[in-house]
Amino acid sequence: MARSYLFIPANVPRMLQNADVFEADALIFDLEDAVSSHEKDEARALLARFLDEHRPEGVELYVRVNSDDDLEKDLRTIAPYDVNIVLPKARSAAIGNLTTLFKRLKRRFRVLALIETPKAFFELDVIAEDKMVDGLILGAVDLLNETGGTFSEDGDALLFPRNKLHYAARAADIRSIDTPWPRVKEGLEHDIKRTAALGFDGKCAIHPNQVPSINEAMSPSPDALYKALRIIKKYESEQTTRFSLDGEMVDKPVIEKARKLLDKAKRYGMEVGEDG
Amino acid sequence: MARSVVSGSLESSDCLITLTEAGETSVQVDTIVHEAFQRHLESLIRETLKQSGVKNIKVHCQDQGALDYTIKARLEAALARYEENDDG
Repeated sequence: MARSYLFIPANVPRMLQNADVFEADALIFDLEDAVSSHEKDEARALLARFLDEHRPEGVELYVRVNSDDDLEKDLRTIAPYDVNIVLPKARSAAIGNLTTLFKRLKRRFRVLALIETPKAFFELDVIAEDKMVDGLILGAVDLLNETGGTFSEDGDALLFPRNKLHYAARAADIRSIDTPWPRVKEGLEHDIKRTAALGFDGKCAIHPNQVPSINEAMSPSPDALYKALRIIKKYESEQTTRFSLDGEMVDKPVIEKARKLLDKAKRYGMEVGEDG
Repeated sequence: MARSVVSGSLESSDCLITLTEAGETSVQVDTIVHEAFQRHLESLIRETLKQSGVKNIKVHCQDQGALDYTIKARLEAALARYEENDDG
């Protein structure tokens, strides 16, 4: 599972061909907002040739497709390649319509649903439960344009959408992915800590410089991993779901949390050592 | 007036392809990289043109250090635009 999802404009060769050096866990090649309407055709041609000849390895690949008349052209272009899609302005009806399109193209894509309209928040459970959907992404800039909220460091305007989206994703057992922070560095650390504290699985990045901070903040800390390892070892040796460790009571939810943390670390390729 | 289309840009690692209707096919490459690479680009463009079947066209490629995939993609996009603009 990915921690960082880096947007790469699909019509910029220097970004495409360097995409795999930015150390993001997932790349989202953007055919939508990063490409002006008169450049869509050349962006599709460039992305197809790039995937033919320079497909990055060892990283999850997505394409943010357009949600309008260009959607089918986008899907046709990327159909031959091992990529999945980010669907902007996702609504339950739009996701339902994908089924017909996928049949016509004889190609099924997995979908990350970009939630960026107020109405989508009132059908999140339906979107999250769709069998094609692997995750929900919060798109805060467009959302706040509609709600009138402000994208600020205190994050107040995003508290409800962030929590609602994360809970819907968790209930459906799919990924929750937070919105990118709109500035390259200023305020980024604070924003990422909030993302991690809310329990999100990953976060989007709009600049390669944001990736290392996201990866670090979204990974379990060595101290937390060491403690989780000790909890699991003691649980396995004592065969009870209620015991004390370092003066703290450990019960079933704590054991489960420790197990999830260790699983998460394994997914990120982190080493879990005895020495912390 | 001769039909003319462009694709790409003059940004680093990109190229700007200009196609113009002409009496015969010709390829002009201006590149910021070594002269030896100019011949490679010309050959790449002629091969892509051959595959497209488009003839009687002047290709002007202003290369800013583009890799092969970019040259081919920009030329393919330009050729598609050229075909779309065919009023005959």
